[in-house]
Amino acid sequence: MSKDRLDLVQGTLDMLILRTLLFGPAHGHSIARHIQATTEDVLQVEHGSLYPALHRLERKGWIAGKWETAKDRNREFKYYRLTAAGRKRLALEESKWKRLATAIARVMWPAGEA
Amino acid sequence: MSNREDDLERELRDHLDLEAEERGDADAARRAFGNLGRIKEDVREAWGWARIQRIAQDLKYAFRQMGRNKGFTAAAVLTLALGLGATTAMFSIVNGVLLEPLKYHDPGRLFLARTVPPARAKMARDFPVNAAQFDRWRQYCRGCDRMAAAKFDEFTLIGAGDPAIIPGMRVSAEFFRTLGIQPAIGRDFLSEDHEWGNVILSDALWRSRFASDLSIIGRKVGFNGDGFIVIGVMPPDLHLPKGDEWGGFFGPAEAPMVFFPIDSGNYKVRPTGNLNYSAVIRMKPGVSREQGIAELNSLLADIYREYRLETSITLIPLQQQVTRNARSALWLLLGTVGVVLLIVCVNVGNLMLVRTSGRYREAGVRLALGASRGRLFALVLEEALLLVAMGGVIGLSLAAAGLKAFAAAAPTLPRIDEVQIDWRVLCFSGAAVVLSTMICGLFPAWKLARTEPIESLKAGSAASTEGRGKLRLREAMVSIEVALSTVLLIVGGLLMISFLHVLRVEKGFDVANIVTQDISFLNPKYAHGAHRRVAAELLAKLRELPGVDVAAATNHLPLLGEDWVGELTDPDQPPRSPDQSALANFRFVSPGYWKAMGIPLKQGRFLDDSDQGKPNAVISERAAQFMWPKENPLGKHLEGMGNAAPKLEVVGVVGEVRGAGLDHPLTMMVYEHQWRMEPLAMSLIVRTRADPSQVAAEIRALLAHADPEMPIPQARTMQQIVEESVAPRRFQMYLAVAFAFAALFLASIGIYGVISFTVARRTPEMGIRIALGASSGELMRMILRQGMIPVFAGLIGGLLGAILLSRIVASELYGIAPRDPATMAGVAVVLLAVAVSACWFPARRATKIDPPLALRFE
Repeated sequence: MSKDRLDLVQGTLDMLILRTLLFGPAHGHSIARHIQATTEDVLQVEHGSLYPALHRLERKGWIAGKWETAKDRNREFKYYRLTAAGRKRLALEESKWKRLATAIARVMWPAGEA
Repeated sequence: MSNREDDLERELRDHLDLEAEERGDADAARRAFGNLGRIKEDVREAWGWARIQRIAQDLKYAFRQMGRNKGFTAAAVLTLALGLGATTAMFSIVNGVLLEPLKYHDPGRLFLARTVPPARAKMARDFPVNAAQFDRWRQYCRGCDRMAAAKFDEFTLIGAGDPAIIPGMRVSAEFFRTLGIQPAIGRDFLSEDHEWGNVILSDALWRSRFASDLSIIGRKVGFNGDGFIVIGVMPPDLHLPKGDEWGGFFGPAEAPMVFFPIDSGNYKVRPTGNLNYSAVIRMKPGVSREQGIAELNSLLADIYREYRLETSITLIPLQQQVTRNARSALWLLLGTVGVVLLIVCVNVGNLMLVRTSGRYREAGVRLALGASRGRLFALVLEEALLLVAMGGVIGLSLAAAGLKAFAAAAPTLPRIDEVQIDWRVLCFSGAAVVLSTMICGLFPAWKLARTEPIESLKAGSAASTEGRGKLRLREAMVSIEVALSTVLLIVGGLLMISFLHVLRVEKGFDVANIVTQDISFLNPKYAHGAHRRVAAELLAKLRELPGVDVAAATNHLPLLGEDWVGELTDPDQPPRSPDQSALANFRFVSPGYWKAMGIPLKQGRFLDDSDQGKPNAVISERAAQFMWPKENPLGKHLEGMGNAAPKLEVVGVVGEVRGAGLDHPLTMMVYEHQWRMEPLAMSLIVRTRADPSQVAAEIRALLAHADPEMPIPQARTMQQIVEESVAPRRFQMYLAVAFAFAALFLASIGIYGVISFTVARRTPEMGIRIALGASSGELMRMILRQGMIPVFAGLIGGLLGAILLSRIVASELYGIAPRDPATMAGVAVVLLAVAVSACWFPARRATKIDPPLALRFE
């Protein structure tokens, strides 16, 4: 059952991570926090899926991880940044998502009702 | 790798620290984060290559598991090895004999032409072809690429080691070119070679008799007392069909060792009857079998009209013809071993299920520590794969060894010398391993992967987590095993009864105390009837040997197939229509033949010495009945065999014999005096009270003395001939029965396992029952009842299966119906007896339970 939810989130989670990194490099915790904050806590990022997703994206070459010292404290975190391939991927995912969203919207709220 | 692990560890710790900072509570952060082990596992999964690493880890674990359970491992691997080995060996044979194309150039275009009698004659068999008809095709057939005529013949080889009878073939010049094979040394036949007395040798003859001497080409070799020039030697891998693989009426199933050319352009025979040649035809590319048949028949249209022939010509693909008699038997045996393998797998699966039931706690702990269900599933499957793969490797070597034994035990199987383990066999073996792994591992894997961690950890003992559902599954497996064993037992039983029927068939002649010796007068010094005197002297001398009662001779012994076959015709009657005609086997015998063989006289008299040179004949009862149903056959007339045969007069009627073979229908017989046909090869028959081997030695000495150039093959007793004639059937029956018992044994282990398990699981319950006063008889009945329910279900399923499959075995049976109720009942009794005893021992253990002990069991 937990599997269903994970599957559902997986595709979108990848996109959300890529989108978040568009603002600049971030580490895992801040990515989760950012997604949660920008969606006003509607989307809770499961930590169980966040890290596997990060590593998967890294393997695909869409993001690159690097240990860097944080600006606000004297400690190293693993910062992820968007690669060129990742940018392309994000654009692709975005357009796909838009089309999907419009399509769903047309079904759910046909013109006139809206 | 460890770097990556450290990285991950650090990254997750950072996250936890940040989270804890935010929440101000380390524990809450930890809880919010979830199952740390599981997350790590998922991340590793994302790394990709972790999968391989994980499999290696699992295999290491599986190996350790196997080491801890040596008994189980040995039993599983051994039974799997036997099952996979037998299946692989059997498939190699099916592959080499039936699937692998013939080893000739483009074998799909090769056909054998056969003469088919008119449908209303109801003969259900086909015949060789007429040479004049063949010649017609050779000249005019446009759809044919090449064609050749061939027939079996025997030759005496003199001057190269001991004189010997060598099996050979007479072939037209195009023979090897039609098949698409070439001599390894020397040259192929040309159309004029028959005029020059040229021959081609087989590789085997060249090696054994001429020491592989390359200078053999152009040398003169003595065959039948004449000199022939060797022009070529065939390659060693010349896999020519043998005997009946060329269609019936070809000759004994011996690999030809020498090839003589026949005149391929000049057949001076009537274009009817005289069906003496096997015709092998290579069609042109793109010409279908149907087109070929139509053209061959249309070329004979005027012959059909002129002679009012109702026969027709058909084309049989050569490959199909060669394997015609072995096909159904081989598929049946492959099916049988396949079923045994299936039972082996179900059994191993059952044993694995028992073991997984002890591992729910382990599974629960693993799940709690972050293992995924998929991984648990894979773990069990990998264990199964390990077992099956080990069995498969051992099985493959068993198969290789078994194939040699099989080839030695079944030399009459077509193409058995071509069977080998090739890529297709390896693929099959691989597929069998994968499939077996599925059957062995899927259920246990599924069960283990479904473990609920909390439940498994909460429950006290491993045994009590074993639910009723699990038992159902195992009972179903027992049912399957029993059903499959039932089918195999019925097949084995039917084959065994068929075999006994064949042995008990009324042969029509005596078997005990008869020694036979083949001799050959193929030598120019015996020309012009000189061999008559020699044969007469030999028979006289044989009669004087101590212990010999009767000595006689015939041109063809019983049980060795049909030969000298001709139509029964009464010259005093109008010609019969095809549905009223019948074929008889003609034999040329010396007067003592019937006494020597113990064939009884029914009417008239036997032939005697006074019949020499007279056209008198003795016929069998059925021939008499068929020709003259309500009349006295004595004094009636028959057409003799051959072109210039005299009209025969019937002087006696004798009993029937099984001429063609014990499991063949009775053949009508016409016996003529030996010297009417002047056979140059014959079998001596000696009826003796003395030790057969001693008599054989004396015959040998006598022959060697009479003619040092005469080849003397091994003498055979009639008993040996009977044994040889049923050997293929015996072999098939042994295999089927062995497989059936293996299946029964495996099934009984399965039953025993389930009942033992039930008894162990219900020990406390039994204790309570005993404490409450249940008698041991009641307990026993209760357990037996529970154990026998799946057995009964399986038995019924098996009986139904056997009924459904009865058509497949029917062709292999003799004298028994494939749905024989007595056999089915017998199998049911045997199976139930075995099942009851398999239940008995564990059930008895239940009655011996000590109540106080049992209640402390948990």
